[in-house]
Amino acid sequence: MNAVPVNYYIILSAILFTIGALGVLIRRNALVIFMSIELMLNAANLALVAFSSANAQLDGQIFVFFIMTVAAAEVAVGLALIVAVFRTKKSIDVDQINVLKG
Amino acid sequence: MTTMQVLFLFFAAIILGSAIKVVTTKKMIHAAFWLVVALFGIAALYAMLNAGFLAMVQIVVYVGAIAILFIFAVMLTRKELLDKGAALNNNKTIAALISLVFFGGLLLLLTNWSGFTKMAPDLPEGDMVAKLGEALVTPNAYLLPFEVASVLLLAALIGAVYVANEARSE
Amino acid sequence: MNQADFYSLLPIIVLTTWSALLLIVDLFIDDKKKGITAVLAAAGLALTMGLTLSQTGQTVIGFNGMVILDGFSTFVNTLLLFSGLMAISVAYGYIKRRGIERGEYYSLILFSIVGMMLMAQARDLIVVFIALEMLSIPLYVLAAIDNSNAKSEEAGIKYFLLGAFSGGFVVYGVALVFGATGSTAFAEIAASIATGNAETLLVLAGAALILVGFGFKVGAVPFQMWTPDVYEGAPTSVTAFMAAGAKIAGFSALMRVFATAFPDIAVDIAPVLAVIAALTMIVGNVAAIAQKNIKRMLAYSSIAHAGYILMAFAAFANPALRDDAISAGIFYLVAYAITSFGTWAIVISLEKEDGKGLAIEDYAGLGRTKPLMAAAMTIFMLSLTGIPPTLGLIGKLYLFRVVVEAQFMWLALIGILTSLISAYYYLRVIVIMYMKEGEPETVSESWLTFTWGAMAVLTVVLSLIPASLFAWASGALMK
Repeated sequence: MNAVPVNYYIILSAILFTIGALGVLIRRNALVIFMSIELMLNAANLALVAFSSANAQLDGQIFVFFIMTVAAAEVAVGLALIVAVFRTKKSIDVDQINVLKG
Repeated sequence: MTTMQVLFLFFAAIILGSAIKVVTTKKMIHAAFWLVVALFGIAALYAMLNAGFLAMVQIVVYVGAIAILFIFAVMLTRKELLDKGAALNNNKTIAALISLVFFGGLLLLLTNWSGFTKMAPDLPEGDMVAKLGEALVTPNAYLLPFEVASVLLLAALIGAVYVANEARSE
Repeated sequence: MNQADFYSLLPIIVLTTWSALLLIVDLFIDDKKKGITAVLAAAGLALTMGLTLSQTGQTVIGFNGMVILDGFSTFVNTLLLFSGLMAISVAYGYIKRRGIERGEYYSLILFSIVGMMLMAQARDLIVVFIALEMLSIPLYVLAAIDNSNAKSEEAGIKYFLLGAFSGGFVVYGVALVFGATGSTAFAEIAASIATGNAETLLVLAGAALILVGFGFKVGAVPFQMWTPDVYEGAPTSVTAFMAAGAKIAGFSALMRVFATAFPDIAVDIAPVLAVIAALTMIVGNVAAIAQKNIKRMLAYSSIAHAGYILMAFAAFANPALRDDAISAGIFYLVAYAITSFGTWAIVISLEKEDGKGLAIEDYAGLGRTKPLMAAAMTIFMLSLTGIPPTLGLIGKLYLFRVVVEAQFMWLALIGILTSLISAYYYLRVIVIMYMKEGEPETVSESWLTFTWGAMAVLTVVLSLIPASLFAWASGALMK
């Protein structure tokens, strides 16, 4: 039933990962940076599921399950931090969050 | 081209298009909605890869919880002052260059992979969800990461409650 | 679950249970008496340390190869638990003084240590990843724990974004390794590479991405951008814990991954690591010269020391030297942990409530007003530079020896030259303490005094009898 070669998925995940990394590097808004990080994690998940399917193994899928769990935990803490920073600084622009400069 | 290939290209286009929107769009709330679209697209690909359970988890956890949390955070932090100003920082050219080189390298490696043109074999027959579930609670399989993940969630819960609680009490 | 599984993780299980119980017990402790929570947390760490030490010399593989208890993990875990005890000792009075004393502070430290210990025992990339997050998430919150302080929150968010970003690299690296070898278990990855079944290039890319992820974590160049900001902004007691604990855990995971999962790749990648080590030493030491804030200076110093430890990986180029390189690396981690906790204890003693007292100039006159404290600070600065009679020197000697044996003469030379550069800013602190006039105000708090006093004694005494400690480190082999 699978008429799509695995490489299609892998290349798609590589592009998605690059877009996510680019987003982290170019954006100034902490929330959008964090969304880009989620794109990177999803790219990794897609690669894992595709590799898992190529190797006819379940292990990759189980790893994805754990990554999702960890991502959820990270989001909970990360968004709490971002909202807390916004409350004190009224901004979540990482270029403006710069009390600390040597 | 088979139906599956058409479907793949369709979802791939959706994912990449919305991912690009996430990193380029100026308004935070738009970025959050494009993220939701990208996450749905990935769920569809999981389904095409015979990972139906993960497709469901993707929708429930990523779209249902994570993306919604993002939207909440956007609403909590979006004041009129926020969507103004340059969306990009000053080193965008160099960042784009690094990403391009990185991607080129990755592509080169992946095209050298021998499994590159391999068709995905169908996964072994049987109830996949049951197998996944069993693997998660078998000591010789993935019981340990499963338990550690639960402790991790506890730690994250304490941390998040602490940070959020402090923010309110100010 | 059989007994071996249970036994291999016994200290971690006990500590996890203890931290969960501590969360509940803490609810019944009055807000004014949070010192009790600190004592209970320390008791948990001490108990776990006893259990860990009782497992010395044993090798047990648990959970079907997911974790291992061996000499290396025993050594590293003991060091981590020691760091945890020191972290509580320096925090005890400090967080009370800054008005951020909460029971959660101690629980989060314990949870973070659970993650670090698991990282040292992990033999599967899945466990490495979960342990990495387990140690990081509490640290994000701890860095931002002073919510009334914009600097602390900024440190938290920067550390978080950086950590999550590096986590993305680790996960993608693991995905590529899994694709190439069909497994995430170290033993199977190594076997698959050795038999030539794996795609070498794909494994190499995966290993490189994992390295990038951990590079962010330990603050290696070029991933060091936000390290000084985080170290400066976080409450000093948290910085002290991050500097030692996160570094120990990060390096021990890197060592185990490259020694047991990618032994062949470690040989190929060693020259790259040598270059990263050289750059890290140069950037860290040169940037530290210009710093006026002591926390920032110590942050760059910690980057520089990450560079010295990375030198050990260059010696992986020669498989015969691998065990020596690992023991030299963990010995250096011991020296760094002891010295840096002592230094941070003194920094905390001089820090005022409003964040003043952190400029290096504020140390003027310390030699006259507090001769003992100044003497201890002198010992720590000498140790960080690598001047006798201190543990820092011994650590550097072992490291340089293994680097020279591995035929990386140029790297050893850069190491020595950058140590000379570092002498400038470390010795400047001593000069300011003794030669300049000033009236530094210090806080005398018994646990702080104990920390810097004990660390100063350890730094000197252990340097006089390094053989026994080094014998233990060389016995700490990976199985």
